Amino acid sequence: MSSPALVVFRKELRDTLRDRRTLVAMVVVPLLLFPLLMVGMAKFSQSRAAEARDKTLAVAVADAEAGAGGRGSGLADWLRQEPGLAITEVQDVTALPEQVRTEQLDAAIIIPAGYGAAMAAHQPAPLQLLHKSSDDFDIPRTRLEQALGRFEQKLLDERLRGLGIEPRSIDPLDVQRTDVVSSRELFGKLLGGLLPYMFIIFCFTGGMYPAIDLAAGEKERGTLETLLSSPASRLQIALGKFAVVTLTGFTSALLATVGMYVSVRQGVEGIPPAILSAIQSVLAPGTIALVLALLLPLSVFFAAALLMLSLYARSYKEAMSVISPLMIVVVVPAAIALAPGVRLGLVTALVPVLNVSLATREIIAGTAEPLHLALVFASLLVLAAGGMAACARWFSREDIVFRS
Amino acid sequence: MIEVVDLTKSFPISRQQRRELAAAGAPAPGHAPASVPGAAGASSLQAVAGASFRCSPGRVFALLGPNGAGKTTVLRMIATLLRPDGGRISIAGVDALADPVAARRKLGFLTGSTKLYERLTAEENVRYAADLHGVGAGDYKRRRDALFAALGIDAYAGRRAGQLSTGMRQKVAIARTIIHDPEVVVFDEATSGLDVIAARAIIQLIQDCRAQGKTVLFSTHIMSEVTMLADDLAVFHRGRVLAMGGLEEVLARAVDERGQRRTLEDEFVRLIDAAEGVRA
Repeated sequence: MSSPALVVFRKELRDTLRDRRTLVAMVVVPLLLFPLLMVGMAKFSQSRAAEARDKTLAVAVADAEAGAGGRGSGLADWLRQEPGLAITEVQDVTALPEQVRTEQLDAAIIIPAGYGAAMAAHQPAPLQLLHKSSDDFDIPRTRLEQALGRFEQKLLDERLRGLGIEPRSIDPLDVQRTDVVSSRELFGKLLGGLLPYMFIIFCFTGGMYPAIDLAAGEKERGTLETLLSSPASRLQIALGKFAVVTLTGFTSALLATVGMYVSVRQGVEGIPPAILSAIQSVLAPGTIALVLALLLPLSVFFAAALLMLSLYARSYKEAMSVISPLMIVVVVPAAIALAPGVRLGLVTALVPVLNVSLATREIIAGTAEPLHLALVFASLLVLAAGGMAACARWFSREDIVFRS
Repeated sequence: MIEVVDLTKSFPISRQQRRELAAAGAPAPGHAPASVPGAAGASSLQAVAGASFRCSPGRVFALLGPNGAGKTTVLRMIATLLRPDGGRISIAGVDALADPVAARRKLGFLTGSTKLYERLTAEENVRYAADLHGVGAGDYKRRRDALFAALGIDAYAGRRAGQLSTGMRQKVAIARTIIHDPEVVVFDEATSGLDVIAARAIIQLIQDCRAQGKTVLFSTHIMSEVTMLADDLAVFHRGRVLAMGGLEEVLARAVDERGQRRTLEDEFVRLIDAAEGVRA
């Protein structure tokens, strides 16, 4: 014979696992999202970058001092030697801004009158670059600026030699840069905030549908009275349901981790080797265990909050409308952790959700301080215990259970 | 046996409910404001005001009253779903207020709005109730076989409740209510909204329970059910018992000025009118 809480748990779990909507939210989405997201984003970014890199750029050069006996800047001829540039020389500059804006041209270079005089006087010669910022990493502009940079270096070398100076002699320092940041730390700081954000969202959404179904759904279906008139105490009923909601939320986050782990270990095609190596170094079993240990008390707290709101609602629909705003309350602190400069400290370690997000980022980066982690755990355990107690008390309140 | 002594229960009312009552110009049907009787500005509504009655084993007790009389509140208190403000409830010798879990072990509770878990099979629905009541495997099999055979559930025991017809569901709900062989069975308007066939299954269950010596309490506003089933009855209105006794006894007292016997329906209406007249 089993404890009534266990009986409730087993029944609710079986019932929940037969609900397609819950299965999709709890299993399918978290398991597949990371692999699809990683492969999709990597492939998409790479293809866009390659397209922008390999594209032949249409560039117009309007040199006011070229032709009609003038020597001009020589820039057009220089650029023609650069690979991937199709140079057109034009006289009329009025149409150029519109042509660049409408992407008939990738860029235009205007060399106004006075260029030759400035050059002769060893003054900075005027040159205008027209371009349009784009979502393809601004690779066209970068490519053109690099070509202009080489042209400028050629002019500079010529000026220095004209003055009798060896160009290399004006570089007093030969700076050798060595970045000592580990790929793990770099990945943790850059992307480590995104992972806990996703895990926290899954923790919440994984428990959301079961919580609504197990409380408001039971009210709406008219099965709650039968359950409450059984010998199971309110506490036992609350515990049984609570355990299922906690389990589904946590499982959702766990499956998201598994999905990410498997896709990375398999070396998903499309992810650059450097990034793949960084992710693989992050996904050590110890790191994952520590992150999951943080998510467990958070799942307990979410389960308590979700069940309480669901029990308060009179119907499934009302529960949805009551719980949906809670999603924002969860997302905002998780998103704050994505902002640069926000770090895990004595205060942020006590802020629910934000602390999990920041602690996960530090764990992934391998820079977590034991004191801060202990504080995060302690505050989460207090929060979880408080949530459980409040949830159990909520189930014994007539005005909530029989709210009409 | 069910013994209810001087039961009272009031519910707090919200500001909006108070406004609605004020707009209606009267207290909610069947409920008397607790703090200031008759005043729409009261902070709570008295749903049950000193109700006392006793239901004996092997007899069927009908709680008869109009909608909103407070019948459901009384039955919910007996089922320990609600806690009374005052009074005493005894279920098969167990003090329901002191030990609600023990009281619920003795109880089967079925309402007209009771539904099944649609994603569970008929068998799983019944098994869940048995497990909650701590019915052992041997007892479960024996009772399950008997009930399923009697109600004809075997043919669809493995089908999910969501795929069953209303009549099938009602039979499964009945099996679920009595799978633990309760001494006391409470029905709250259990035939409400059911078709004739489904309602007949409930009526048959009530008769079977009486034959087995169980204590049966049911609430209804349908006179024909009372005359068909009840041994004893209480007429309930605005949270109070207006009349109580054996069915024959109540009918025997129902005689008009000319010495003519009234029907139960006429007597019921007379009692309600009289109560309203006193209030007015």
